[in-house]
Order: sequence, then C-alpha cells, then structure tokens
Amino acid sequence: MSNPYHCGYNLHSKTLHTASPGGGLKKTRQSKIRLHVNGKLHDLEVGDKPHQIKPSHTLAHTLRETLGLTGTKLSCDEGACGACTVLMDGKAVLSCMLLTVECHGKTILTIEGLRNPETGELDPIQKSFIEHTAFQCGFCTPGMIMSTKALLLKHPHPSEEQVKEGLSGNFCRCISHYHVLEAIRALTGEKGHS
Amino acid sequence: MKLFEHHQVRSVTQAIRLLERYGGRAKLNAGGTDLLGLLKADVLPEYPEAVIDIKPIRNLKKIKLEKGLLKIGALVKLADLAESSLMRSQYPILAEAALRIGSPQLRNVATIGGNLCQDVRCWYYRYPCHIGGPILCLRKGGNTCPAVRGDHRYHAIMGGKGCMAVCPSDLATALSVYDAQVVISGPDGERNVLIMDFYYPLGYALQKNEMVKEVFLPPIPQSSKQKFIKFTLRKPIDFALVSVACLLGFKGDEVADARIALGAISPSPIRAYGAEKRLIGSPINETIVHEVAEIALRDTKPLSGNGYKVNIAKTLIKRVLADLRFNQKVDR
Ligand SMILES: Cc1cc2nc3c(=O)[nH]c(=O)nc-3n(C[C@H](O)[C@H](O)[C@H](O)COP(=O)(O)OP(=O)(O)OC[C@H]3O[C@@H](n4cnc5c(N)ncnc54)[C@H](O)[C@@H]3O)c2cc1C
Ligand code: SF4
Ligand code: FES
Ligand code: FES
Repeated sequence: MSNPYHCGYNLHSKTLHTASPGGGLKKTRQSKIRLHVNGKLHDLEVGDKPHQIKPSHTLAHTLRETLGLTGTKLSCDEGACGACTVLMDGKAVLSCMLLTVECHGKTILTIEGLRNPETGELDPIQKSFIEHTAFQCGFCTPGMIMSTKALLLKHPHPSEEQVKEGLSGNFCRCISHYHVLEAIRALTGEKGHS
Repeated sequence: MKLFEHHQVRSVTQAIRLLERYGGRAKLNAGGTDLLGLLKADVLPEYPEAVIDIKPIRNLKKIKLEKGLLKIGALVKLADLAESSLMRSQYPILAEAALRIGSPQLRNVATIGGNLCQDVRCWYYRYPCHIGGPILCLRKGGNTCPAVRGDHRYHAIMGGKGCMAVCPSDLATALSVYDAQVVISGPDGERNVLIMDFYYPLGYALQKNEMVKEVFLPPIPQSSKQKFIKFTLRKPIDFALVSVACLLGFKGDEVADARIALGAISPSPIRAYGAEKRLIGSPINETIVHEVAEIALRDTKPLSGNGYKVNIAKTLIKRVLADLRFNQKVDR
C-alpha cells in the first residue's frame, strides 16, 4: 500500500461513490480493510457475515472479538474513561470511538504488542507498573499503560504536569492514580519538580 | 450500534452529493467522537441510513494565514489547534479552549468541524433508547421540553427558545471572541455565517445537504491580551458549566478594545456587548469589574434549579478581567 494514510477501504471497491441508498452494503461486502496490529498484517473482509467486519464495528470490537486481542478493555464505550486506549500511528486514541472500516492502512499498537516478540521481555513501562503495583483490579491498566507509551514517545522526559495531562483521559475506579504516577516517575527520573 | 451503509468521500463535492442523495438520512462522520456516542445510544430521532466518512478529504486539514485571515479547515484536529505555535501566540483563547476539551485521546481525533456541529449534551436528549425507549423531547420533534420541570442544573440560564440545552462547544465560545465566520458548503456553493448565528433554537444553520468546510478569523487587534477560563467540576473530560473568553486591548491604562464571550449558559455562545461597551474607555478597577459582570448577566432568566450558574459566570468575568489587568503577558 503506497499511500496508507487516510486511504479508505473503498480503494478496493471503486464503485463506492455511485452506490445508491440500499445498495451500499452490497458494495462494501467485497472490500477489505488492512490493519497492521502489533507488527502483524491483517486483511479483513467487510460485510455482514459473522466472520466479517461490519461497517458499524468499532476498532475495540474488532481487536477483541475478531482478532482475539482482549487486552484492550471496554468500559464506558462512550469516550470518557480511556480503558480502550490503543496507539494508532503512534498516537493515543480511543478504540471504542473509531469505526474499523475507517482505519484502513493504520498501524495499531495494543497492550499485547508492547513486550518484545522474540524474548518475551516486558516493556519498561509494564515492568515499572508491576514494580510499583500501579493497579488494583487492573481493568484500567492496559489503557493507562498505552497512554503512558504515547506520552513517552512524545516527551521522553515529561514534566509532572505533562504526565498528568497525558494521563488525564484515563480513569481508575480503584484510585491507583498515585501509584501510576510513581511508576512513571521512577521510569523517567522525574522528581516531581517543574 | 445498529447497521448503516458506509461511504468514504475525498472531496466536499462528493460529500454534498451523497448528502443530497440520502435526503437527510445520512450523517457525516469526522472524528466520530460525538457521532458514535449518539449511534450507540440510538438517540437520534431517525437512525441514519448511511454514515459518510469525510476524513479522506485532504484539503480541509490545514491552518493557514491568508491576507490576514486565519483559515482553519473543518478537519483540523483539536490537538493541532492546541499545539500550533501560531494559535498559541496569536489566538491563545482558541488554543486553550481546544486544550481544555476532553482528553488527549479525544483531541487526537476530534475535529473543529465536528466540535461545532456536535449534538447537545442534555441528558433527556441523550437518554439511551434501549432503556425503556427514547425521550421524545422538543428537539427531537416532540411537544415539550422535560428539562424545564425536570433536572436542569446544567441547562441554559438565558436565550432558550423551547429547547433549554446549552451549546456544548468550547470552540464556539472561543471563536465568538474572534468574530469568526463558519464557511458552509452546499449544492449551490458557499455561504458564511457568523459563529454566534450558527446555532438555532433546535439545531444548526446547516441544511440537510450542507456541511462546514472551514472557519475563518478576521485579523485581531495588535497587542491584545486574551484569556479563556472554563469552569468544570473535574478538570479533564467534563463539559463547561460556564466558560468565559475575553480579549482586551489597552491604551495606557484604559481599555481600548473589549470582547467578552460566555459559553455554556445559552443554546448559542453569547457576546456580552453591553458589558464590552461599558469597559471601553475605562481603566480596570474593582468598581468597573463588578459593574461589567452585572451588565453581562443582566438578561439571564435561570430556571428553578440553575441560578447558581449566574454567580459562577459573574465570578469568571471578574476573574478574567483582573487577570488580564494584572498579567502583562498573555498566559496560555
Ligand atoms: C468524554 C467527552 C468529553 C467531551 N468534553 C467536551 C468539552 O469539554 N468541550 C467541548 O467542546 N466538547 C467536548 N466533547 C465533545 C467533543 O469535543 C466532540 O465530540 C468532538 O469535537 C467532535 O468532533 P468529531 O470530529 O469527533 O465529530 P463527529 O463525531 O465526527 O461529528 C459530530 C457531529 O458533527 C457532524 N459533523 C462533523 N463534521 C462536520 C462538518 N464538517 N460539517 C457538518 N457537520 C459535521 C457529524 O455529522 C456529527 O453529527 C467531549 C466529548 C466526549 C466524548
Ligand atoms: S433541553 Fe432541549 S434537548 Fe433537552 S429535553 Fe429539552 S428540548 Fe430536549
Ligand atoms: S471504553 Fe473507550 S473510552 Fe471508555
Ligand atoms: S485498577 Fe481498578 S480501575 Fe484502575
């Protein structure tokens, strides 16, 4: 795919724009979605059969139900909690608020993709979360870790303010935020000033 | 989410053609952060037959200065508004308003066009259909507004004409200070609407076959001081209870140019023209600040349970004026 950014799946179904009301679904049935998830290429069919991606499927649904990547959690399902956070082309996004059919050509990183695929070694963020017990029930944790990943990609040495801002969209019912901040602080050497 | 047909378009013309073909039974999708919530809860009076993805339209993604006019494409993301150095130095109110919306994850996908066209957050309106059926209020074609006698703590304290839901868009509040125009594209070409006139009592200044193409901002007065304050219960995620945007120009100690916009108190953003007039020609002192706050909120008619918003609005106005008076630098 020479031009993956914002190329719709309609690349594969040229008749799309002439589709008439009522006939659109038939057209989309032949099309494919290409996703790069955790370094693996997935070509997914669009349609309304059980194994296919429906136009109404969210990315969270596809990751969990179609690809079996259940590390990404769904909680509020309305964009307000951050549990479903994944990285898309390096940026934190909410997978519950994206349609899979609109993610053609995107590179997705989920919690499952953080560990080293050869050695199985965990990402330093995961290690630090474990060392600092930065969770209780753990339901918000994949989202917290993915937001942290996005933050550190953007600011390798974030200030306390940047850490709080970077994680402001991730809620934790068990109030483990303080431990999360400690885990990140330990990782970035930030002493809490600036 | 119930099923819909899905289309992707690469140009405004294609989008408009599809909108026309579906005759109101299609919805545009930009970032999807508002639309997907509406579709999941199935709250729209009519579930759309089709969703049209407009993200592939390339020429709506830029912020550019053209002959003094700042043009912002409808698909510019909130994160880009918040981080652009041009925005932060010249239009800090808009940058700050964008930065205070939702969370980083939302700002990475939500667009300015979608932010302006997002649906109201009234909890009667958004009541999920699958829990005992929809609430058919005035805005959905029903006869009454249940909020008037119900729980309206976050609803309008002025300007409600039937529907009492407030304009949820912080960007609309910010853009009001800049007298921004919304450029609307339709089958017959383009037209411009002042941001304060973009919101109608039960909807938007958009026909079923029209879309927002861009927003443009006229030049701002030289060396103005600007500030945006948003009052919320929690800092991230929450919508504004009240927000205030203010731009002041000074000649010595006297105010030479004043613009004050109030958000989340009415179905559309409000410019406090009376208060602005009172400020011009005066220095900022305690007496003036109190007077200006009173004038700005003079025409409010709160409902039985939201009078507290009047006090918050007054306090924010005083705060913003004091801040602009004493801080020489515009603080972001
Ligand atoms: C948890 C949460 C908290 C939030 N807090 C705030 C807040 O504090 N302040 C605030 O201002 N907003 C807030 N929002 C709303 C958020 O800013 C909007 O959802 C977002 O800006 C919409 O942009 P979008 O591109 O995702 O729009 P979409 O969801 O794609 O579209 C929204 C609506 O606008 C229409 N539309 C989109 N683009 C166009 C266009 N170019 N022309 C015509 N119609 C169009 C769509 O058909 C749809 O009806 C919050 C949202 C969430 C989920
Ligand atoms: S305030 Fe508006 S949206 Fe809310 S119930 Fe009343 S009419 Fe409906
Ligand atoms: S599940 Fe996506 S934000 Fe809550
Ligand atoms: S650890 Fe339980 S929700 Fe965060």
